[in-house]
Amino acid sequence: MSHSTSACNGQNATSTLLKQPGVLVVRKHHFLVRWSHWLNVPILLGLILSGISIYWASPIYQHKADPNTGNFDVAADIGIWICAHVPGQHHYSSPPDWIYNHMSLGPGMLALALRLHWLCAYSFMLNGMVYVAGLVMGGGWRSLLPRRTDLVDALRMFRYYLGFPFAKLARRKWLHPLFNTKYNALQRAAYFSVPVAGLLSVATGWAIHKPTQFHWLAALFGGYNAARAWHFWLVWVYILFVVPHVILVFADGWDTLRSMITGWSMRVKRSEAIANEQ
Amino acid sequence: MSNDKKGGSLQPTDKKLQSFFGERPFPAMEMTSGRLRYLTRRDVLLFGIGAVVTLAGGGFLLPQQTLSRIGGRRNMDSPAKEWFLNRALRIDDDVAEALYSVNRTVPTYTKSQITPLKNNYNGATPDPGYISRWTLTLDGLASGLSISLDIRNLLTSFSVHEQITRLVCVEGWSAIAWWAGLRFDDLLRAYPPMSQAKWARVESSVNLDASGNPDPYFMSLDLATACHPQTLLATHFNGQPLTVDHGAPLRLLVPVKLGLKNVKAITRITYVAEEPRDYWAERGYSRYDGI
Repeated sequence: MSHSTSACNGQNATSTLLKQPGVLVVRKHHFLVRWSHWLNVPILLGLILSGISIYWASPIYQHKADPNTGNFDVAADIGIWICAHVPGQHHYSSPPDWIYNHMSLGPGMLALALRLHWLCAYSFMLNGMVYVAGLVMGGGWRSLLPRRTDLVDALRMFRYYLGFPFAKLARRKWLHPLFNTKYNALQRAAYFSVPVAGLLSVATGWAIHKPTQFHWLAALFGGYNAARAWHFWLVWVYILFVVPHVILVFADGWDTLRSMITGWSMRVKRSEAIANEQ
Repeated sequence: MSNDKKGGSLQPTDKKLQSFFGERPFPAMEMTSGRLRYLTRRDVLLFGIGAVVTLAGGGFLLPQQTLSRIGGRRNMDSPAKEWFLNRALRIDDDVAEALYSVNRTVPTYTKSQITPLKNNYNGATPDPGYISRWTLTLDGLASGLSISLDIRNLLTSFSVHEQITRLVCVEGWSAIAWWAGLRFDDLLRAYPPMSQAKWARVESSVNLDASGNPDPYFMSLDLATACHPQTLLATHFNGQPLTVDHGAPLRLLVPVKLGLKNVKAITRITYVAEEPRDYWAERGYSRYDGI
């Protein structure tokens, strides 16, 4: 992912010799895709934080109340454990609330959390439509479709990422697998799964929000209680996606980050490879 | 742009062969580096402004409790914030109202699917002494009268319907329970409300707060929902007369609404034209609560 742009400049040198030095650029992301991409940051953050505050009111994972603390919430147990074992947290005033004070809007604010959750949920659905519109208008959806060769290619990419830090430390050459598509197989898998997870979150959200009018939807996910669990676990898809996503963008460099802000990328080579192949 | 070496003649056939799902090359274009720098600067600046606006918006919308915890000292509560967030609630309520249909019934379950239902009185459970003196008062009737009915009147003059439905709490938990009682719709037919009435105010005067003091519970119910065939004035729970825990002797069972609309120990129903006050709506929850 670190191909330079020098090749493109070379090709152009003859035709623009007398004019201002030019660069070849491509528009990588449609502006609607870029807008919805960034809007997802506050919206998803709002959904997750308010969602965990809602979870507090009736945790899915419970056990028999502890005779000493009266606690029955597994999430609160984690907070109690953290306060007992993590340095600096020993004097935390309310260990059962630790998780909710750090991972949500806070405990004991169901009404406020619900209002924010609906606001963000409707925004999320609108934003999802903007994203799909951008994918269709810009033709970007084609780059997200899984291919038959993806499994092997994804494993190759995975091996590359795993080995990269060691190769750096050992000052060994570690070659990026070659591919001639906009995304490599691992990226494609991630960028394809996240919208699918978004769709599932919306569907399970409706299933538990309107369980009588949409009882068929809840039934699709195994009933009301199962749909709640789905809705909860889908959050982890976003978290598991976002962490490497952000790390890799910064590892990849400014051009990639810029392409999601301005749309422009100077990495023309890859698209030319596609053109030559076809 | 890059195919000039291979010759243009190949291109049209390539286009035809290209599958609909196949990835297309980006059209590369030339730009002076000054122009690219300008566009980048402009868009990054706009992006920064957007990020600041979003942060400010977050500060505006987050609960005061959350802001205080992360170190905010200023009180950010304002009527504008309330208005905006309530607007979001109303949109959701309008969606719920649009989804409702008197002809769409909620799923019913079998006796083997019944799950335990806890006493979820928000405050203290009332002393059962009220039950012997209990009457149901109807106001806002077409006749202009105020009617008082006791439980024997209700059980003898109306037919009893049974259903096993799910009660869903706003907190997220739910319980499948077996209920029996009269249809609200039958009561509406027997004692028709005044013609302008669109709402029922359903009230329990025996409700208590957490420290055991009287705290009347009142709730708004649209008459369209009251007419639903599965909206019961329940008298029995799991085959037995209602216990005090579950709102003896008469509670509302409205499975198309959240549990908080299912008023226990109803003492008064008033039919009104305008949307009446609602106990939980005044505490920041939604008003319509259709599920």
